[in-house]
Amino acid sequence: MAEDVLRLDNLTKSFGNVHALVNASLTLREGEVVALLGDNGAGKSTLIKTISGVHRIDSGQISVRGRPVTIRSPRDAIELGIETIHQDTSLAPDLSIARNLFLGREPVLFGFLGVFAPLDLGELKRSASALLKRVGISKKLDADAPVRTLSGGERQSIAISRAMQFSAKVIILDEPTNNLGVEETHGVLRFVKEVRDAGHSVLFITHNIHHVFQVADRIFVMRRGEVTAELVVAETDLLTVESIITGADMSELMGGARHK
Amino acid sequence: MKSIHWQNALKSPELSSLVILGVITVLFVIGNGEFLSPLNISNLLAFLPELGIIALAMTLLLTAGEFDLSVGAVFALCPVMVALLVQNTGMDFALALLLGFAACVAIGFLNGILVTKVGISSFLVTLSMLLIVRGAALYITQGFPLKSLEIEHVLVTLLSGDFRAGPFRFYASFWWFIGLTLLAIYVLDYSKLGNWISAIGSNRSAAVARGVPADAVKIGLFIATSVLAGLAGTISALRISAASPVAGTGYELEVIAMVVVGGTALNGGRGTVLGTLVGIFLLRVIRNGIVLVGVPGLAYNIFVGAIILAMLVLHALLQKNTRRT
Ligand SMILES: Nc1ncnc2c1ncn2[C@@H]1O[C@H](COP(=O)(O)OP(=O)(O)OP(=O)(O)O)[C@@H](O)[C@H]1O
Ligand SMILES: [Mg+2]
Repeated sequence: MAEDVLRLDNLTKSFGNVHALVNASLTLREGEVVALLGDNGAGKSTLIKTISGVHRIDSGQISVRGRPVTIRSPRDAIELGIETIHQDTSLAPDLSIARNLFLGREPVLFGFLGVFAPLDLGELKRSASALLKRVGISKKLDADAPVRTLSGGERQSIAISRAMQFSAKVIILDEPTNNLGVEETHGVLRFVKEVRDAGHSVLFITHNIHHVFQVADRIFVMRRGEVTAELVVAETDLLTVESIITGADMSELMGGARHK
Repeated sequence: MKSIHWQNALKSPELSSLVILGVITVLFVIGNGEFLSPLNISNLLAFLPELGIIALAMTLLLTAGEFDLSVGAVFALCPVMVALLVQNTGMDFALALLLGFAACVAIGFLNGILVTKVGISSFLVTLSMLLIVRGAALYITQGFPLKSLEIEHVLVTLLSGDFRAGPFRFYASFWWFIGLTLLAIYVLDYSKLGNWISAIGSNRSAAVARGVPADAVKIGLFIATSVLAGLAGTISALRISAASPVAGTGYELEVIAMVVVGGTALNGGRGTVLGTLVGIFLLRVIRNGIVLVGVPGLAYNIFVGAIILAMLVLHALLQKNTRRT
């Protein structure tokens, strides 16, 4: 059995008296795609924000490859090999595609100058073009164009290709297919499979259960801040998953006549 | 292909401002031949760097999405402190200057902390700071300007020495201004820090999610802005041998106007130092030329305001036509 790359034990997080996470636990193994499902406000985004360093947990334990870690900031998460694409998009619209791709990890000359070091603009442009080519969107996009001029789907693709480039161990996608057209959606799903096949682990939040059945290996379902179910995709079906998400009484659903 | 490039270039705010600067200059020259006289150009260049230095810092701060209304007051406080220390306690000028800058650092740091960590808007924080700093300058001088500030020190020569080149007279501040302009261009467009500054102003949470220390960068920029305002004030006071507690009144808005007229976005993300350079010249040239062509002194703010407004309308129209092409 593959090793747990990421393990969350009893994470708790409250915003004032909103209990966004209540003893939430899950595991992510090497080279697998895990889907995180749940209704609006279930706590999915909050859960992944604690892993990516946006929020700090009130209690609980996060472990990376069996080692307990403390994630205080996005930088900590990135250094642990966790790349996140947030739901509320994570690009700076006024910066060029190339500068966005390397934001926070800019290639520089004379690194000893710290933050005052000059950007290696040649390298920036070269790697950006190479990356765009790898993701298959190079023909349309100029690495020097500001992100402001791109469509929503193109922006999403840029954000995803950024997560790929530093070969993160864990890639977290919060509703990556939102607002995407048919073709772009397939692009994202294909990307998820490719990344898995390359040995990375993916945590994938979505409201589209069909997508889950296309790419995921396991499913976790959240309700009101808790992880209420863990399912293996090969051993379950759409209807079961749907009913667990809504919290409907399973026996009633199974018994009653229900049209699809 | 070439002509398309030209069209796009003309749509950039820097270039359209530059064109307008050219047109206005020509109009002033026609209106009064004295405009291009060595004396007038020397005067223009003596005064221009003092606001220009502040505008450079303000460009970076605005690009990061914040602004600072306390610069005009800091412009007065720093030299007043230095002058009092030198004249009343006989302190060495270098030490007094260091203490003056330390006060600027403290002011900038406080602005930055209140904006980033307490989460008050920079408008409110720096407006309050303006009152506090201006009040402090007035109180410690009892409202009187400190005159005959004639200090013998190598630093004084470095800050405000002058020399002649033919009929022209240059002040040291001109070289400071050129050096700082190059530095600002380097930082904003070519360094890692500049990438962070633009990203923070463009989408702060995106920058933070990539591990960019947004708060530290903003605090640093507030400090740099205060220190450069203090430097500009000191240069100005040494040039005229007097430190006045009311010096720099209204400079905050003048400086912000320079930056915005140059094409830097008031709400962050897009900053251009070259544009600011054009904006600095534009506002100084307008103020200078309007007097020369005989507009009555009391009326000239009407013209300055109208020209700034016209520039901004032009930028807005150009922006509209280029958005998402
Ligand atoms: N920063 C915050 N401050 C206060 N409450 C918050 C904050 N972030 C999330 N919450 C609350 O926590 C709960 C969980 O929100 P979360 O964003 O994690 O839901 P979600 O499962 O991602 O929903 P969706 O599917 O709509 O994206 C919600 O009730 C939300 O209002
Ligand atoms: Mg969410």
